[in-house]
This record gives sequence, C-alpha cells and structure tokens, in this order.
Amino acid sequence: MHNRQGNYERRWWKVMLRDPQWWVPLIVLAGGLMVLHWIQ
Amino acid sequence: MAPTASLPLLEKSRLRSLQALGVMCGFAAGAWLGTAEAPTKLVRVGMSPELISLLMVVGVFLARWSLPALARGTSQVYADAHRAPHLIVWAILAGCLWAVANTLTIFAIRDIGLSIAFPLWNLNSLLGIFWGFVFFHELREAGWRRWLGVLGGAVLMFVGAVLLALASSMQAPQGHALQGVLAALAAGVLWGTMYIPYRKAYLTGMNPLSFVAFFSVGELGMMTALALESTGGLGPLWGQLAGARSVLFWLAAGGFIWVIGDLFQQYAAKYIGISRGIPLSNTNQLWGLLWGTLVFGELHGRSASLYVQVIGGSLIMSAGAAAIAFSAAPPEEHERWQAAAIRESVLYGTDIEYVRAGLEGRAGVRGTGRTAIAMLAIATLVFAVLGAIARAPMVDLNAPAAVVLLGLIVVILVLCGTALWQTTKFS
Repeated sequence: MHNRQGNYERRWWKVMLRDPQWWVPLIVLAGGLMVLHWIQ
Repeated sequence: MAPTASLPLLEKSRLRSLQALGVMCGFAAGAWLGTAEAPTKLVRVGMSPELISLLMVVGVFLARWSLPALARGTSQVYADAHRAPHLIVWAILAGCLWAVANTLTIFAIRDIGLSIAFPLWNLNSLLGIFWGFVFFHELREAGWRRWLGVLGGAVLMFVGAVLLALASSMQAPQGHALQGVLAALAAGVLWGTMYIPYRKAYLTGMNPLSFVAFFSVGELGMMTALALESTGGLGPLWGQLAGARSVLFWLAAGGFIWVIGDLFQQYAAKYIGISRGIPLSNTNQLWGLLWGTLVFGELHGRSASLYVQVIGGSLIMSAGAAAIAFSAAPPEEHERWQAAAIRESVLYGTDIEYVRAGLEGRAGVRGTGRTAIAMLAIATLVFAVLGAIARAPMVDLNAPAAVVLLGLIVVILVLCGTALWQTTKFS
C-alpha cells in the first residue's frame, strides 16, 4: 500500500531500521540465542 | 513527521463487545494451550529438546497454514501482506523468538524441574504489561482501579502459579541449577517480548490469521536451524527423526492443538491488548494441571496438604485472572490505543482506513475456499501418515476424564469461535 506521498513500498524497511520497537525484540532474540548456546 | 490522520471514537457498545470477546479469547487460549501439553506427556523417550521442539513446530506449521485458510480463505493473507509488508518481517521475528523460548523451556524443565521453571517463565506477563504500557499506550488513562486489577491480578496469578508448580513437581530436578534458572528467565523475556510484534501487527490492522501464517515461517525456520546445529547436520537429524517415528504423531498433534490456543491468544492480544491478554492466556497452567491430575493421575495418592496447595493455588490464580478480566479498557484508554495505531500508520504509511477496520474488528477481504481445502487436505495427509506409523502410547490414562476434558475444550472452541465469527467475522 502507498502512503500519501506514494512511496510506501520504497521506504518501509528504512523506517523499520529507525524504529526502536524493532530493535528491542531483535536484541532480545540475540540474547536468547546466546543463552541457548551457553547452556547446550 | 506530524500525525495528520485521526480516527473516530469507537461506539461504547462496540468497544464493550470487543473487550468481552477479547477476555473470552484469553480464557479459551488458556484452555487450548494447556491441553497442548497432553499429547507430549505421551512421549517418554530420550529425545533431545531441539528435536521435541522441532516436531511440535511441524504440527504448528501444518495447522497454521490450514486452519486460518479454512476460516477465511487465503486472499486475506495476500491482502495483508500487500498492505503492510513490514509486518511479515515482524511476524517472522516473533516466530524466531517463540522457537528459541520454547527450546529454552525444555532445557529449563530438564535442569530445574517444572516447579521452578514454570513460574519463572510466566513472568512474561509482567514484561508484557511493561511493553504494552511503554510502546502501545496500554493502561494509559485507565484509572487506578484498572491498574490495580491488571497488576494485582498478574501478581496473584504469579503466586498461584508458584503454588501449583510446586505441587505438580513430581520429581526433584537434577543438576545445572544456574543454567536452568537462566534458561527459564530467558524464555520468559523472549515470550514477553514476542508480544511487541503481535501488538504492533494488530494496531496496524493486520488480521491475526495472516500474522500467524508468517509467524510459523519464522518458527519453523529457526527451529530447523537450531535442530540442525545441535544434531550436527541434515544426515544425523534425519536419523533421529526416523528413530523417533513412532512418536512423531503425538508431538505434531500437541503442536496442532497449541495453534488453536495461540489463535485465541492472538485475538485476545488484538482486542484487549497484551497487558491483559498474556496473563489470561497464562491460565493454561490450570488446564495443564487438570490434564495431569485427572487424566494422567499425576497427584494420585499424595498427601491431603498437597491437594490443599493445589486447590489454593488454583483459586488464587483464578482470582488473579478474574481481576484482569474485569479491568477492561475504558473509552479513554482505547483512545490512547488509537493514538498508538495512528502513530504506526503515519510511521509506515499504512492506509488509515485499513488501520481503522482492524481496530474496529470489521471484516477485510474474504477468500475462496479452494486453496483452503487443498491446504487442509495436505495437513490431513501428513497427519494420516504420521498416525499410521505412530505407536499407541504405553501410558496409563483415565480415558473417561480425557473425553470429558476434550468435550469441554471443544465446547469452548465452538462458543468462542461462534462469538468471534458473529462479532468480527474472524477479523
């Protein structure tokens, strides 16, 4: 879907990289993988 | 970028019916998620945690691509993917979080036992309340009574969970206490954080049935990677799968049942938010206990004090759930949810009408049934093959009690499914 500027398709991934709500789960996932690696 | 769009306030009667629906879905989620533990209790072989988790995820994947398609057709999934492609990435990320957390819980149970592990990872409720408040304006302008209801309810549920888990521990845990505690806590953090993508998707207007379809891709991908890494490659993994063929059906069935619970959990997260939805679906522990005691005779012949502990823990947990259920969001709080939804719409440029339709629980695109029937046929075929090579479990169980409990959860499924259909057409 396009926004009012008609550029939705181009920019959503750029927006995501600047969205702190994206980084929180990503960092938690990295931490979880580290814990899993350690206890295995 | 300044917000330029606005949403009209939801009618009070519509808000009330959506909130009641969300609460109903939260309790239904608890019933089905708790029942999902039952088939896995039939598996008493020495399998690695990654393999058990992978096999459950296979059942999850099959169910997630067949049941949602059956309910609404596949066009909705494509329409959602087109309108908000960024949410595909979010859903896959949530699936990865689930897979790692589920594997960690198996390690935690092995190292410290269910009694300590379960309450630790159930702390995800408190984390969910925190993320809901910080990121999605939940509990803002909700008033102190609702704060007390939600936070107090979550704490009561935690206390009840501790009592129940202590009572249901059948044997002392072995070794690696620190690793087990860390694994359980990490699982709680992962599961609590997994609800950020859930809530983000539903504030944006995505249909829960579409979200779970992409979620399962992340889940299966991450779980396959973890299983390949732990077994040492495709050859050894295939060897282990072939060796475990007699129990594949039961684990996949557990995954299948789990999906139904998770679908209800998704609708709960959508209509009452994560701060209320997560604690309500954590009532799965009560259902797990019901199956354990009534069907598998886990507490048979134990002391009277233990039964008192179980009844006390169940009552406390139920009281906590009731407190949360009666703390529905008032219109002022819902207005703040709408503000969070507008922020998402402006940030990602999603159509405001799409966001509005999602928040109001109005139906989106309805698909045709052809693809759905094909997907259901594939899932049925896979389960038929797994069932054919499965061995009947050598576990004593109380069959009449199992039939009663199964009947009960089917009634819950029908009631809640009908309410969802009538109120939102599964949107």
